[in-house]
Amino acid sequence: MKVSIIGAGNVGASAAYFVSKLNLAEVVMVDVVPGLPTAKGVDFSHGWASERVRVTTFGSNDYESIKGSDVVVHTAGIARKPGMDRMDLLKTNVGIAKQAGQAIAKYAPDATVIAVANPLDVIAMVCLRETGFPSHRVVGMAGILDTTRFRYFIAEALDVLPEDVMAMVLGGHGDSMVPLARYTSVGGFALSELLDQQKIDAMVMRTRKGGAEIVNYLKTGSAYYAPAASVAKMVEAVITDNKRFVAASAYLDGEYGYSGIYLGVPVLLGAGGVEKIYELELTPEEKTALDDSAAHVREGVTTLDSIYQS
Amino acid sequence: MFDIAILGAGNVGANAAFYIAERGIGSVGMYDPKEGLAQGKALDLMEAAPVRGYQFAVGAIDKVSDASKAKVVVIAAGAVRAPGTERSALLAENREIVAAAAAELSGYGGVVLIASEPVDELVALFVAKSGLPRTRVLGIGGHLDSQRLRMQVSQQLGVSAENVTATVVGSHDAAGMIPLFGYTRISGVPAATLLNDAQRKQVSEATLQAADRIVEGLQRSAGYYGAAAAITDLCQAVVGDTRRIVSAQVVLDGEYDQTGVALSLPVVLGATGAVRVLTPDLSEAERSAFVAAASAQRELVK
Repeated sequence: MKVSIIGAGNVGASAAYFVSKLNLAEVVMVDVVPGLPTAKGVDFSHGWASERVRVTTFGSNDYESIKGSDVVVHTAGIARKPGMDRMDLLKTNVGIAKQAGQAIAKYAPDATVIAVANPLDVIAMVCLRETGFPSHRVVGMAGILDTTRFRYFIAEALDVLPEDVMAMVLGGHGDSMVPLARYTSVGGFALSELLDQQKIDAMVMRTRKGGAEIVNYLKTGSAYYAPAASVAKMVEAVITDNKRFVAASAYLDGEYGYSGIYLGVPVLLGAGGVEKIYELELTPEEKTALDDSAAHVREGVTTLDSIYQS
Repeated sequence: MFDIAILGAGNVGANAAFYIAERGIGSVGMYDPKEGLAQGKALDLMEAAPVRGYQFAVGAIDKVSDASKAKVVVIAAGAVRAPGTERSALLAENREIVAAAAAELSGYGGVVLIASEPVDELVALFVAKSGLPRTRVLGIGGHLDSQRLRMQVSQQLGVSAENVTATVVGSHDAAGMIPLFGYTRISGVPAATLLNDAQRKQVSEATLQAADRIVEGLQRSAGYYGAAAAITDLCQAVVGDTRRIVSAQVVLDGEYDQTGVALSLPVVLGATGAVRVLTPDLSEAERSAFVAAASAQRELVK
């Protein structure tokens, strides 16, 4: 098995670490910055004996190195700085994603693509268009990250193990995302049984701005540990075909009443990529929030279309 | 001294030691009255350590009182079920062993996890004989049953078991085991949303019959891999103080108006045992099944 990661920045390199630790596939990082991916690959390899990693991990400046990949993770692009919205990254990152998408189509025609660069739901669309792959083989990583943040905040408030909190977050990967408290549980208990509405609302807000919270601390970059850990979960699902029921950004064709956009929804993730999209029953309030989130994503796609036409 | 002491080095005890070593939770000392058994299995495991990279020792302890220095004592001693074994017969056979361990551990400061059968009655017996607080004596049956329900739900839906959280309360036998579908979820999504009535009935029956199916297959023994995995989970929560939410047999103290008997309820598990005992909102049918399980236990121990 082979996993390629495009972009060897903080997200890409951290993802290379987590994916290598799975010991399931050879890992290749590709980046345009001369020497950077190679250096990180060698640096990782020096530690593999003590980290008990038995697969090879290396870096390259040449897209051809992704040849024959089973999974390609696209992380390349610029990151947010304080005060920026993910959509502010659109123009630059679309250009990078176009190149990557074309390279994936050429060298890894059978791969499943996991888009990670922001604005996530728009970049996933670029990957879909440029590769020409069936939409189930191009998926965006956002839902696992958004839910893992929500899960952590809840676990912290209740002093329970984060692993025991399960959550669902729908919508675009932006401030308008829709954490569904109703579809969130703690050891099987409904969230509302354990926390009052005010606290839940505060955690929903914190989740929506979870990425910005880190950006504000770091000042010069954005989060990468939790995003990379989330990437590894998705890579593992595709490689092992373990049929994960997770939120992910999937191409919608009528599901939830939307078409032609990527949006965070619950999916079954396995060797076939997005093997199924689940349509949850939503309250009118939840549906309105999702409509709002979908509208934000659609604005991004409109901008994308104008870039394509110009 | 060892972090975890396991009384009983049979299939359940030794496999628990194996899983604990594999997961790297802490050092394990096994005790067995059968001379040489604990020593032999511990040595066998340690001879795998160089290949498997174990970080903690597995060894043997010579007497039950040596277990009192461990953070966790697992009781996996006594007879196990064979096809057709009655619960009352198991109780008659194992109560003396467990009562003797309770007497030895009366001043114990750690957490006791009971795997011996019938687990519900033996948890209550251990608390009564040892005088330990109820929060520090828990049974592994509830977690094992929840684990089995998780597996059934995951197979029914074709999704990874890691994404399923399931809660089973009541007693650890088909007559008093109560799968709570209201507290069973798939990545947060209520089970009722994804499973229809027929599917729920099917997974529920399969969970209730799980132990019997294994006994029928093995003939001379009850299941032990699942039990060992459940023990390992609970040991990890105590040693690491992880505050994991697990179903476990606990002596009731007014929960659902029941007192003095031990049944499975979800608890928050940490270094001091059950940090909290949780009381799910039961439907009328579930509640009466729970009360019936409590009555059956009172009847059995009379």
